Amino acid sequence: MFAVETEKLTKRYGKTYALKNLDFTIDDNEIMVLLGPNGSGKTTLLLILATVLKATSGSAKVMGINVSTQSTQVRKILGIAFQEARGFWRHKPADILRFHAKVCGVPKSERETRIENILKDLELWKSRNKLFMHLSGGQAKRQEVAKLFVQRPKFAIFDEPTSQVDLRGKRQIWEKILKLREEGSTIIVATNEVREAEYLADRVTVLNSGDQVVCDTVRSLKDSIAGGDVVELELDAANITGLIETLGQIEGTVKITDSGSNKLKAHVSMAESWVPRMTELCYESKARILSVRITEPSLDDVFLHFAGRTLSEGQ
Amino acid sequence: MRNVLRLVWFDLKSELSPPIWIIMEWTLFLVQVMIYGAMISQLVDGISEYRQFFAVGLVIMITFDLASHTGRHFVEHAHEGRLPYLLSLPISRTKLFMAITLQGGAELALMLAVPLTFTLFMLGNLTWISIAACVFTLFWLGFGVAGLMLGLSFIAFKSSDLYTAIVTGLSTVIIRFSTVLYPFFALPPQYASVAAFSPLTYGSDLVRYILGFDPSILLDPMYALAVLLALSASTLGLGVFLMQRLVEGVKSA
Repeated sequence: MFAVETEKLTKRYGKTYALKNLDFTIDDNEIMVLLGPNGSGKTTLLLILATVLKATSGSAKVMGINVSTQSTQVRKILGIAFQEARGFWRHKPADILRFHAKVCGVPKSERETRIENILKDLELWKSRNKLFMHLSGGQAKRQEVAKLFVQRPKFAIFDEPTSQVDLRGKRQIWEKILKLREEGSTIIVATNEVREAEYLADRVTVLNSGDQVVCDTVRSLKDSIAGGDVVELELDAANITGLIETLGQIEGTVKITDSGSNKLKAHVSMAESWVPRMTELCYESKARILSVRITEPSLDDVFLHFAGRTLSEGQ
Repeated sequence: MRNVLRLVWFDLKSELSPPIWIIMEWTLFLVQVMIYGAMISQLVDGISEYRQFFAVGLVIMITFDLASHTGRHFVEHAHEGRLPYLLSLPISRTKLFMAITLQGGAELALMLAVPLTFTLFMLGNLTWISIAACVFTLFWLGFGVAGLMLGLSFIAFKSSDLYTAIVTGLSTVIIRFSTVLYPFFALPPQYASVAAFSPLTYGSDLVRYILGFDPSILLDPMYALAVLLALSASTLGLGVFLMQRLVEGVKSA
């Protein structure tokens, strides 16, 4: 059984589709990252799974429980950190966490320890007695995600968990998300930050304008781009044109260009198997390799490859 | 049920710290009754002790304001992003609706504590029975109005401007065209025909009947009670239905 399973999930606002016939699954104890620009349907999907929005058609199940027909049961096993931390303006961070923990059934014996630890870990301890409305944007965001680290739900939903958070804070939150998975949670994270996706994802689902473009592991997605790996070579070779022809015969070569000054740029698939073969052929051709630099595609390149535009173009 | 009470208390706690707005409301009530009520009672003929009639009217208006505030509160929740959070908690929609209305009821009880006690004291009727009967009536009136406003709040999901316009217009009509400040017999026929549709007409006449006002200037209490209960049951039922079937978070939140 999948932890999450959707079938032809559709959400429509008037004539506009926020999600179109989405079929996807998340395995138990997996971190699935939804990657896509603003308006791609990430938040809509998360809110449907959290039973906050109702799907127009199709179905979604969390741990085998239907989100539309058994929504209260679903809410007992999930927690969601919203994209924007808003709401209890006149409450203090510790009080908000305490309320959340009580309502979500965190055992009384663990409640205060968990709250204190997470406030300290996310550097909110000094602000614990400030009103929520007096927190900075980054602090409010940390407070929002802290709810889930106190709750430790079976299924945790994070909507852009580190937007507005500084680099140090991002790293702290990512580590906490990974720890949450270690403790047994299944996790879905929506983001438009490539680094966040690469850091957290077991698998990535790329969404574009409500459509699922592709879903796979980060490695497989990168490998699936023909010529996605770029190998830059600096050689000491007598016949560079002949060598280009020879290297072009290696399986996985998409394009080799001469950058001048005995430098070549090769666009290849699977650089890890291409480079050893290239080394052999250079040796046979009596060409000396002075330097090799391998650059693998980013998830932004993956998005560009599958969606026809970059993530930043979609913002 | 425990989660319902937790939610009510969590929200109420912030409203009470500090409780300045409640104290201001009490002060305003006392000032209105003591000064404005005393002055206007000199001008009104046909009702003995108009100041007492006026005090009960003010209590009814506070009840209406608080109950309609519950609906507005719900709309604010939606637009401030609190509603999506509440909808994601492990509480059924019906219980969430109960929590919202209970919170309205608790605020109402706090807000009315001084005005009602003072009015009963002024009438020489400060007994447990009269307190219980008034609270019962005011709660039903409050639930009815809150249910109506919660029902209307779904308009705000489409347009908050439209909601504000409708609620403001409706509030004006419901308060002005009612027996809150004038008895039914004293209303011009055009006013009276509209006042017959205002829930406040039935709420205020019933409370005045319980407090021993002259029954000849009031509507039949059984009729008023029946209308009030029917209104409350139907609007609360509508609210629960809408909450279960239609409510969803605001996507941008």
